[in-house]
Amino acid sequence: MKTLIITLFAALLGATAPTLAQSPQYKQAMTDALTGMNKKTDKPATADILASANQFERIAGAESAEWLPRYYAGLNYVYLGFLGGSEAEKDKYLDQADVNLKAAETISPKNDELAVLKAYIAQARLTVDAMNRWQQYGPLFQAGIEQAKAMNPANPCPYVLEGSSLMYTPAQFGGGPDKACPVLKQAMEKLATFKPASEFAPGWGKQQIEPLLTKCK
Amino acid sequence: MNRIALLFPCLLAFTASAQTVLTGRVTDQKGHGLPGANVMLRGTYDGTSTDSTGAFRFSTSRKDTATLFVSYIGYEPDTREITIGPGPTTIRLNESANELNTVVVTAGVFEASDSKRMTMLKPMDIVTTAGAGADITSVMNLLPGTQRVGDQTGLFVRGGSGEEAKVVIDGMIVQNPFFSQSPNLQSRGRFQPFMFKGTSFSTGGYSAQYGQALSSVLLLNTTDQNQNEGLGVSINLANTGLNYDHATANASISATAHYGNLKPLFALVPQNIDWTHVPEFGGGSLTYRLQTSKTGMLKLYSMYSNSQTGLNFVDPGSESGKTAFNQQNRNFFTTSTYTDSWGNGTWQLLSGLSYSHDTDATAYGTQDFGRGTDRLQGRFVLTRALGGKLGNQLLFGTEGNRVTYRNAVSGTAYSLVDAYGAVFFESQVYAGRKLAIQSGVRGEYSSAINRFNLAPRISMAYKTGLYSQVSLAYGQFYQTPDYRYLYRNTTLSYERADHLILNYQLIKNKRTFRIETYYKNYAQLVREFTGPNMTLGPYDANPYRFPWGQTNSTGYGYAKGFDLFWRDQATIKGLDYWITYSFVDSKRLFQQFPTLATPSFISNHNIALIGKRYFEKISTNMGLTYTISTGRPYYNPTNPVFMADRTPTVTNLSFMASHLTHIGKNLTILYASVDNILNTRNVYTYLYTPARADGPAPTRYAVGPASYRSFFVGGIVMLSRKAKVNAREL
Repeated sequence: MKTLIITLFAALLGATAPTLAQSPQYKQAMTDALTGMNKKTDKPATADILASANQFERIAGAESAEWLPRYYAGLNYVYLGFLGGSEAEKDKYLDQADVNLKAAETISPKNDELAVLKAYIAQARLTVDAMNRWQQYGPLFQAGIEQAKAMNPANPCPYVLEGSSLMYTPAQFGGGPDKACPVLKQAMEKLATFKPASEFAPGWGKQQIEPLLTKCK
Repeated sequence: MNRIALLFPCLLAFTASAQTVLTGRVTDQKGHGLPGANVMLRGTYDGTSTDSTGAFRFSTSRKDTATLFVSYIGYEPDTREITIGPGPTTIRLNESANELNTVVVTAGVFEASDSKRMTMLKPMDIVTTAGAGADITSVMNLLPGTQRVGDQTGLFVRGGSGEEAKVVIDGMIVQNPFFSQSPNLQSRGRFQPFMFKGTSFSTGGYSAQYGQALSSVLLLNTTDQNQNEGLGVSINLANTGLNYDHATANASISATAHYGNLKPLFALVPQNIDWTHVPEFGGGSLTYRLQTSKTGMLKLYSMYSNSQTGLNFVDPGSESGKTAFNQQNRNFFTTSTYTDSWGNGTWQLLSGLSYSHDTDATAYGTQDFGRGTDRLQGRFVLTRALGGKLGNQLLFGTEGNRVTYRNAVSGTAYSLVDAYGAVFFESQVYAGRKLAIQSGVRGEYSSAINRFNLAPRISMAYKTGLYSQVSLAYGQFYQTPDYRYLYRNTTLSYERADHLILNYQLIKNKRTFRIETYYKNYAQLVREFTGPNMTLGPYDANPYRFPWGQTNSTGYGYAKGFDLFWRDQATIKGLDYWITYSFVDSKRLFQQFPTLATPSFISNHNIALIGKRYFEKISTNMGLTYTISTGRPYYNPTNPVFMADRTPTVTNLSFMASHLTHIGKNLTILYASVDNILNTRNVYTYLYTPARADGPAPTRYAVGPASYRSFFVGGIVMLSRKAKVNAREL
């Protein structure tokens, strides 16, 4: 009986959730926000990224059942974590990335894309002060990557992150082109066939790794 | 619902003409515009980011009133009800509390942790500092406020003896933190630096959570996770070791085993010591960590070691000038801690249980001087965070110890049990972000002397600028007298020290400047009288003598001075250097002292210069350390003034390098160090032959290090492909 109720409830949710949440207003707002986010040039200004993060946070504020606005807000804060000024400033952005990640995880607890975001945040934290943060954030990065791969083997994002991280790690620390290229090639293969789960679901990675692949034979 | 959704576009079109434009500005408390702040109406899509002047402008279809929500990175968000209208709204945001703008109590504390907060020394520094041999206490001896006492074991802090400092792991007192001492030789600490994620070294004025230390506590916190995965092998001139680490999603285990023998090293480095049994040691450890829930963590750590040493040491008291010394030490230590938190960290629990057993089978010449200790310990601490973002909190705790001491002195066996209990309470209160006050009180009872004490502690800190602050600390500290005195006299009082510390520090852009000045008052110290009816007998300078005279608690003394610290990781890229200078002036009337005098472990000026640099192209880390300690007093029986002589200044220049490479496909770290490069003939102290009525005048023997210039090489091979290494671990 219990199982039946749960199944029914799940079916009901499954059937109604998209229509419930995805109002035309939401679709319009997400389309606008994603267009704005993807319009960024090679050297985006931090003000633009912050504005994009704000835009997603506003959508998240209006749509408390959607994890994607939180995801994209978090992603923008990760970019800011790489680009920001001082170490303290970078950490502040990454604190906000964590806030968005946590909010997204409460909406969608088992989600490969959020595991990717978690790994990405760890990588950004590590990069702020690699020499001193290796021990703490190295394993967190790896854990996020493994989690994402396990949840969805078809998702190219964990391979993109892992490959680019290895490329920037010196050979004597277990990185370098030899280690990175096989992973990056896997990422490319997965990108070629990957279909995002929904209209607004993430499907990034190509732009990040194309310049890196030139270093591979 | 569907229908409503479908209606939306129509609604939007319909209401477009009825929109109101909202304008305003977001600023900080001083009125400076905050660009990029997020402004929105709760529950709607209406909102915008502020422009470069902090101004905003957006339109909404809402009527009458709405909830305006404004957020900005690093500031407290603002939520307010507004009336929809054309008038501009100004929102002033408050900066949120963070490490830069909130004061922390720092008097007497040196933190060295791995967390992102700004710290002056990180755990990696311990293994990469030249001249410290990857020994935690040796690195602490390069910090301000400490003394380097080459011939004795322990931490000597601000005029305190080695017995006045306690080592604490995860809140639990470690009974035997150092390997057993051989005569005139310093011993290393028993624990590996990599076990710990953070180190906090207090040079005085420390928290009411800790007691039984008159001068200092060294707080070590073990890591929550494995550093490596798989098997590793290490080999050097003194030691071979194996370590294995394995982790699952919520549990991890680490095991180590080692065997050491200093024969190969001593064959290459000339020794000043007449060894009869070259130090030989073996042992192992096991660590298990279990994440019991999202917030709960259980840790178990156990270690066992067995070591043996034999030498003929300089003993002017004997006919030949030398006495045979043999010692076998067995040490077992196990500790378990459970930590958890509830209510989003509102309540935090730290509880622990530990047991240690240590025995020394020791012989001086033909005499048996065996000793042993057992300590059983439990601890329970509860922290309650009070509302607000500033970290106001209350802490309550209790601890209980049962310690058994045993000594064999030339055929006589002594033993003593001390049941020691303490309760403590501490509050941390912020009066705004600029002023913090931490006050606490600790009550203790020791069954061995059947006495209570109540020790108040207070410290406060005030932020004087964006990067600077001053701190002030006062506290009373009690310690049960050395158990060897208690065998004969249990009417002694607690020994007591009062600390007063004033500190100023400036941390900016990876540069740290710190100055601390202090006054310590010692009271109720044990005095020993070897003459009849509480009179002074002849002074016996042998540091290993067993006290046998009558005792009372009338000793006293003081220590005063200041410490300077400068560290710079910014000026030259890749170069990290620090300089410390410690000045101490201290006198005591204690033990067998006939008069107020400076004890033999005090040197007035201690300077350390430490530099290290990582050379990326050759993946090598190199470091140099230079230390200067001015002369220490020693007892000269031919000088009528007690302890008036000083040893020469001790200096040491040392170097260390570590290199990362591969052997086959296995990650390998090779390291080499040279201690005392200049081959300086340092003298730590002098010992005199006894004065004999009809004999020759007393002559002195110099006591120095086991070897002058020495070197050390070794390597670590990771057998697991997954092994990864931090450049700073080199």
